[in-house]
Amino acid sequence: MSRTAFKAAIDDHVLAELRAIIGDDARVRPDRSSRAFRSRVPAPFPVHRWAEHFPDVVILPRTAVEVSEVVKLANRHGIPIVPRAGGTGLSDGAVPLRGGIMIDCKLMNQIHEIDLVDRTVTVGPGINMLKLNEELKKYGVIYPDDPASYPCSLVGGRIGTGGWSLLGARFGHTRDLVISMEVVLPTGEIVEIAEGGGRKLRKSSTGLTLKQLFTGHQGTLGITTQATLELVPRPETEFAAFFAFDDYMKAYATTGILTKSGLATLAGVVLFDEKKIEYLRRDDEAYIPQPESVRAVVAVAMYGRRCEVEPASKEIMRLGRSNDGKYLGDEISAGDWASRHDRYATPLHGRDLDGQAVLMSWHCEDAALNYSVLPQVREEWHAIVARYRERYGIFDDWGMFAYTSGSHKPWADYLVEIDVGIWEQKLNDENWAAWVSCKREIAQVSLKYGGSITACHGATREGDAELVPEEMGSAWPVVKAIKRALDPNNIMNPGKQSLDEAYE
Amino acid sequence: MSIFRLGDQTPPEPRRITDTVIERLEHQFEVDPDLMQITPQQDMPVWDSRRIFNARWDHLDWMHAHFADEVLLAGELSETMPEDHS
Repeated sequence: MSRTAFKAAIDDHVLAELRAIIGDDARVRPDRSSRAFRSRVPAPFPVHRWAEHFPDVVILPRTAVEVSEVVKLANRHGIPIVPRAGGTGLSDGAVPLRGGIMIDCKLMNQIHEIDLVDRTVTVGPGINMLKLNEELKKYGVIYPDDPASYPCSLVGGRIGTGGWSLLGARFGHTRDLVISMEVVLPTGEIVEIAEGGGRKLRKSSTGLTLKQLFTGHQGTLGITTQATLELVPRPETEFAAFFAFDDYMKAYATTGILTKSGLATLAGVVLFDEKKIEYLRRDDEAYIPQPESVRAVVAVAMYGRRCEVEPASKEIMRLGRSNDGKYLGDEISAGDWASRHDRYATPLHGRDLDGQAVLMSWHCEDAALNYSVLPQVREEWHAIVARYRERYGIFDDWGMFAYTSGSHKPWADYLVEIDVGIWEQKLNDENWAAWVSCKREIAQVSLKYGGSITACHGATREGDAELVPEEMGSAWPVVKAIKRALDPNNIMNPGKQSLDEAYE
Repeated sequence: MSIFRLGDQTPPEPRRITDTVIERLEHQFEVDPDLMQITPQQDMPVWDSRRIFNARWDHLDWMHAHFADEVLLAGELSETMPEDHS
């Protein structure tokens, strides 16, 4: 039986049941503004069809039991559930595709325990990493999950999307930093997901390794209601250095040299291509005055003890210059590194075909690709965006970067972005379809070169989702079997990642 | 005692930096107003531009201090810019 077509039908009877579960009308919100406010994400959005993405009601639970009871209700009535944390994701994991009940976890934002002996912190999914680290600072420890959305994203969303961290090469990404979780399954049971049975163990070989399954499922396999996270010593010293190149291939080669340097304090290496520098040269105070010879940039960041970082910094300066790299200076190096979260703080604008500045939203393609294919992918991606820009006039190529992506192993994997501005005010069905087509072509290039569609955002929106079966290949039947077993009624974030196929 | 004078709050005439960028206050760049026909520029008094500019540095300092106890610098100027700009 197909379970793919339902659209929520939340009537007064269901609302009364939800109010009885929650026991606080202020935390059951069927009003239009509460729903509209929680429907989109900061990625380009079909604003001309905004209302089609409203949830039917928003719930703000405080406990796992409340979440569990709401999920059980959803199963009884066949109503979709959409989990949402900060709503800062750059794909549609937290966007309702079929209405339903949105479970907003922002009130589950407590720090339950700080364990300085076994080095863990246990939190609710609604806490923000910046606020968590402000509290942890006094103990000399840090939870080093550092996405571009660091000031505003929440732990629950990071787990749901399998988030990627700007410091991942040094400290690991979200999936490496979550030690165990309490999860409400799609059928409403509350379970402990860990390494074996130990809530604070980093490694076990008992049973099956379920923890990875429950990080990065895009809200399709359950809702995390509590998480025990890694604590690492707060870094003594930060060092960043930016190097300019007159040629992309020199910068590419230098990136390879830096990532293979073996320096343990290396937190990230970023390669900005010529189009990215062109984009920055329009509006970024650091790049506007740079000479035309600056055509590519490599950025490096390190964290650790002073006794480690200081000697390593000298080696970074030597390696960064090894292919005619020119140091951009202390001010840009330190300042640009500290600006790494700006994507969530700046109003975005691009250029139309006449060069006029217009408000645009920002698509960040986030493929996972190996080092060897970066130059080829770069050429093909830019050609695709140029073709759509020329034809439709509402897109803008904001350049590419490649960022070290392997946890503790920075040498071969990259998160590769092409940033595309989209003039949302011009969106209609035709232009949105054009964008989806452009997006799909970009993703197909990633697959052609043995990559993955997404390193961190999740393949949950049109242009990506339909390619998930192709990328998963022979493992796709296994994925479908897991989804069907855990979510027999397809209520948990339906319509995402082509998982409806599990019910055909 | 400081005296507020309206004339002091009017930005000076712009200096062209590139084909698409101008500068009215030192190190504060603006998109050329000719390219802001669809999304018009706001008129801003000097104090407000200064406030935003300074707040930016406050933010960057805060972000450094948030992630580590100290920032180590290479201690070198830019190799791409003339000395007076680096």
